[in-house]
Amino acid sequence: MAEKITCTVNGVKRTLELDGWEKLLDVLREKLDLTGTKRGCDDRTCGACTVVVDGEAVHSCTFPARKADGKTIITIEGLSRGKELHPIQRALIEAGAVQCGFCTPGIVMELYALYTRNPEAPEAEIMDALERHLCRCTGYEAIREGALLAQKYMRK
Amino acid sequence: MDFKYVGKDIPRPDAVKKTTGKSIFLDDIKLPGMLHAAILRPAYAHARILSIDTSEAEACEGVVKVVTGQGCTIQHGENIRDLTPMAVDKVRYIGEPVAAVIAENLYQAKQALKKIQVEYEPLPVYVNALDAMKEDACLIHENSGDYWHLPGVGPVGGTNIANHYHLRKGDIEKGWQEAEVTVEGEFVYPFGSSAALEPHGAIGWFHEDDTIEMWSSSICPFVIREDIAHTYHLPVSDVRVHIPELGGCFGYKSDITCEQTVAYIASFVPGRPVKWVASRKEDFLSTLIGHGFVTRLKLGATKEGKLTALESNIYHATGGYSDTGLHICIAGGHNVAGAYEFPNSDQHAYLVYTNTPPIGAYRGYGHQEVQLGLERLMDILARKLDMDPFKLREINYLGAGKVTVLGERLNEKHGNVSQCAERVREAIFTGKKPDEDENYYYGRGFSALMKTPKGAPFSSKGCYLKFNCDGSVCVNMGGAEVGQGLRTVVQQVVGETLKIDPSRVSVYTEIDTQFSPWEWQTIGSMFTMQGGRSAWKASLRAIEMLKQTASQALRCDIDMLDYDGEFVFLKSDPTVRVEVTRLCRGYMYENGMTVGEVVQTTADTRLPRYSNPDENGQGTMGVTHTFGAQGCEIRICKKTGNIRVDHIASAFDVGRVINPKQIRGQVLGGVMMALGATLCEKLRFDENGRCANPHFGKYRFPTIKDAPLKQTVEFVETPGEIGPFGARGIGEHPVIGVAPAILNAIHDAIGVEFYEIPVMPEQILEALAAKQQK
Repeated sequence: MAEKITCTVNGVKRTLELDGWEKLLDVLREKLDLTGTKRGCDDRTCGACTVVVDGEAVHSCTFPARKADGKTIITIEGLSRGKELHPIQRALIEAGAVQCGFCTPGIVMELYALYTRNPEAPEAEIMDALERHLCRCTGYEAIREGALLAQKYMRK
Repeated sequence: MDFKYVGKDIPRPDAVKKTTGKSIFLDDIKLPGMLHAAILRPAYAHARILSIDTSEAEACEGVVKVVTGQGCTIQHGENIRDLTPMAVDKVRYIGEPVAAVIAENLYQAKQALKKIQVEYEPLPVYVNALDAMKEDACLIHENSGDYWHLPGVGPVGGTNIANHYHLRKGDIEKGWQEAEVTVEGEFVYPFGSSAALEPHGAIGWFHEDDTIEMWSSSICPFVIREDIAHTYHLPVSDVRVHIPELGGCFGYKSDITCEQTVAYIASFVPGRPVKWVASRKEDFLSTLIGHGFVTRLKLGATKEGKLTALESNIYHATGGYSDTGLHICIAGGHNVAGAYEFPNSDQHAYLVYTNTPPIGAYRGYGHQEVQLGLERLMDILARKLDMDPFKLREINYLGAGKVTVLGERLNEKHGNVSQCAERVREAIFTGKKPDEDENYYYGRGFSALMKTPKGAPFSSKGCYLKFNCDGSVCVNMGGAEVGQGLRTVVQQVVGETLKIDPSRVSVYTEIDTQFSPWEWQTIGSMFTMQGGRSAWKASLRAIEMLKQTASQALRCDIDMLDYDGEFVFLKSDPTVRVEVTRLCRGYMYENGMTVGEVVQTTADTRLPRYSNPDENGQGTMGVTHTFGAQGCEIRICKKTGNIRVDHIASAFDVGRVINPKQIRGQVLGGVMMALGATLCEKLRFDENGRCANPHFGKYRFPTIKDAPLKQTVEFVETPGEIGPFGARGIGEHPVIGVAPAILNAIHDAIGVEFYEIPVMPEQILEALAAKQQK
C-alpha cells in the first residue's frame, strides 16, 4: 500500500510515496536519481551502498525506506560544494585510492560519518570502518593512505 | 632516455567523477519506456526440462511478457557455438537462465518470477572434470560433435571433452632418459569468481526499424556487436553497443556473458529497452566463473639441475558451456612451463564439460593455475637435488636465445627474469628469518613467473586522434577502462609523443561501437602495450600531417621541418616557424585561401606475427612475455592455524613504467586477489552442482585488514619491442606467483607440502596435528 515519508536528502526536504517494499537504496537511486550510491550485494556485505542517516553510516541496501521518515540523509552527491571537492574526496584521489570507482562513494560516506563524529579517530577505528568496505581493485594500501590523509585535511 | 611525462604520476582523469558519484555505470542508465527483467534459475544443475507453466506469472501486475527458451533455435559462441541464450530442453548448470519475466519495474518482475512452474527430470551431475571424463559419464551435450567451431579446436563428439590441446617440443622420451631426478604432483586451483564490485548487467533494445542497441558492463563491445548481429541476421553496422563506466572486471566481463540472454529477452518486446542487472548471487553463478583446474605435472632434471623434460595434463572443468573457457585451457597448456626452458616437453590440456557455471577469463588467464604447480615442483626439485632453489631456477630461466615450449626463440627485448628474481631475493631472503617462537612459525617462499597475452590473429586495438583548433587533442579508442587507468596511460603516451602537456589530451569516457575505433577486447593485459602503441602511432601520424601542411605554409620540403609541440619550424632556422594552432585545421593564407588537411589520424596495432598452432600445437602464440618474480614472508599462528602474510615482494620486467602510482596500484590489487585465492576464496559446489557460498558473506575476499603489512613493488625496465617506449603488460601478472610463493613459504615454516588452494586455517591445524602424531 502506498505510504508517504518525509525526509531531508542532501539538505533538501523531500516527500516520497512508497509502495512499501523499497529499501532506502531503491528510493535514492530510482525515485531521486541519486545513482552515486551503488548496489554491490544486497546483503550489507560490500559497503558500496553506504550513506549517512542522522550522522550514522548505514547500508542503504537493507535499510527499509519507511524508516527514513523524519531523518536527515546525506549521500555522495551531497558532499562536494559545487566544484569544490570535500577533503575526503580530494584525499582519496591524491592517494591513488580510486581505480574502478564503484566502491569509492561508500568509502567516502563511511569516512565522512566517522570523521564528523570523531575527527581524532585513532587508526584502529579507521581500519574498523574501512573493513566494512570491499574493494577488488586497489589492494587497500592507497585507501588506507587516503583515509589518513583525509583526516589530516579535515583537522585543518 | 629522458621523458617529460612518461614515468610520472599524472593524476587519472576520471577520479573526480568517480569520487563524486557522477560516473555513469550500467545500472545508473535510465531509458525512456525502459522495462526490467528478472531471470529464473533452475532447481537442478543438470536436468531435462519437461514443462514450463508461465500462465500465473503472466497474470501478475506490471508483467509485460514472460519469456522461455522453448522453441529457441539460437546457438552462439565465438569459438565453439554451444551456447543458447536461454535453456531450451535441458539445463546444464545451476545459474542457467530458464525463463524471464519482463515487467514495468524490477520488483514486479521478481514477484511474478516466483509464479513460474517448471517440471524437471534430474540427470547425473558432474562437478569435476575427471568424473565427467569417465567412459560411462552421461553426456552434458549430446550433440557436441555437431557444433560449429573454429578450425583446429572443438568437442570430441560422444564424450564430455569440449577440446583437447596437445603441445609438443623436442623428444619427451629423450627428456626422461636424460633425467636423473624427477618430481611430480597433482595441483588444484578451484573455482573462484572475479567478483568485481559492480555486478554484470546489460540493456537490450530492439528498435522498430530493425536495428538493435545494447548497453553492457562488458569489456568487449565489438564481440557483442558481431555476435548479436550474426544471431539476428543483421548487418553488423545495424547493431550498436554502448559501454558505460565499468566497476571492475578482472576478466569475467569479457567475451559474451549475459548479453545474448538479455538480447533474447528484449527481442520479445520490440520498441522497448529492457534492463537486467545481476544480483550478487547471479553475478557469482550466472555470469562466468574462474579457474577449475586440476593439473598433473612431472619434471625431469639432471643432477646438476638442468631441466630435461616437462609433462603436464590439465583437466579443466569448463562448466555447462565451453565457448568462453576454451582459450584459458589452451593458455594453461602453453604457459605451464612458466619462466623456464625445457628442451623436451609434452602438454595435454583437456577442456571438459561439467555441471558448473561456464568458466571465463579471470585475471591471469590459465597462468596462475598451472604455474602454481610448476613453482611448487621447482622448490621440491631443489630439495631433492639438495640445491639452492634460486640457483636451480637461475640455470633454467628463459631469456635471450632460449626457446619456449611454443617454439618461440626469445631475445633480449623479451625481458629479464633473473633480474626480477634477484630483486625479490634481496627484498625477502637477505638476512635470517625469525626463529619459531611461542606463537608462530615463520616461513619465506619464492616464485618466478611468466605471462603471455593469449591473443588472437585479429586482436587489434584502434585509435582515432584529432587535433583541435587550440592545439588540444581528443583521443578516441575502444579500450574499456575497468579501473586499471588506461585513460591516464593514453594521456601520457600521447602527451609525450606530441610534446604537449597530458592535461591537453582529452581521452574518451565511454565506448560506442558507432563512434569508437574497432578493438577486439580489452583483455590479456594488452592495452598499455598495444593500445599505447596505437596512440603513439596516431600521434606520429598527426605530427607528419602538421609538417605536411607546414611545408606548404613555409614553402619547403617536409624533411626540412621539425616539431616541438607548439610550432613546426625549419631545422636550419627555428625562427622560421608556424604555430600548431594555425595548422590543425589546415593553414589559412591572408586572403582566406586554405591548404592542408584537418589533422585527424587513425592507427591500430595487433600482436605482430601472432599465429595459429601448427600440428605440434606450437606457433607464435606468446608473442610478448612479461617475466617477474614474487616472494613472501609469512607467519603461521600455532593456536589458530591462521596464515598472516607479513611481506610480499613483487618485481616485474615491464619494459617501461608509464605511471608509477597506477602501476603500483595494479600490482597491489593483483597481489590481493591472489592472496584471497590462496588463503580464503573458493566457490564451493556440492555433488549436486549447487553452490554453498554465492555471496560475499561466505565467499570471503580479503578486506583491508588482510592486506600484507609490507609490500615491496619493483620494476625492471628492459624495453620491449611493441609497446610505447618499451612498455609491456602488467595488469594480470601480479596474481601469478603469489599462491606458489605462499605455499612454498608454508613448507619453509612447517615442512608440509600443500598442492591445493585455498589453504585455510583448519587445514594448517590438521597438518600440524598429523605432523605431531608422526
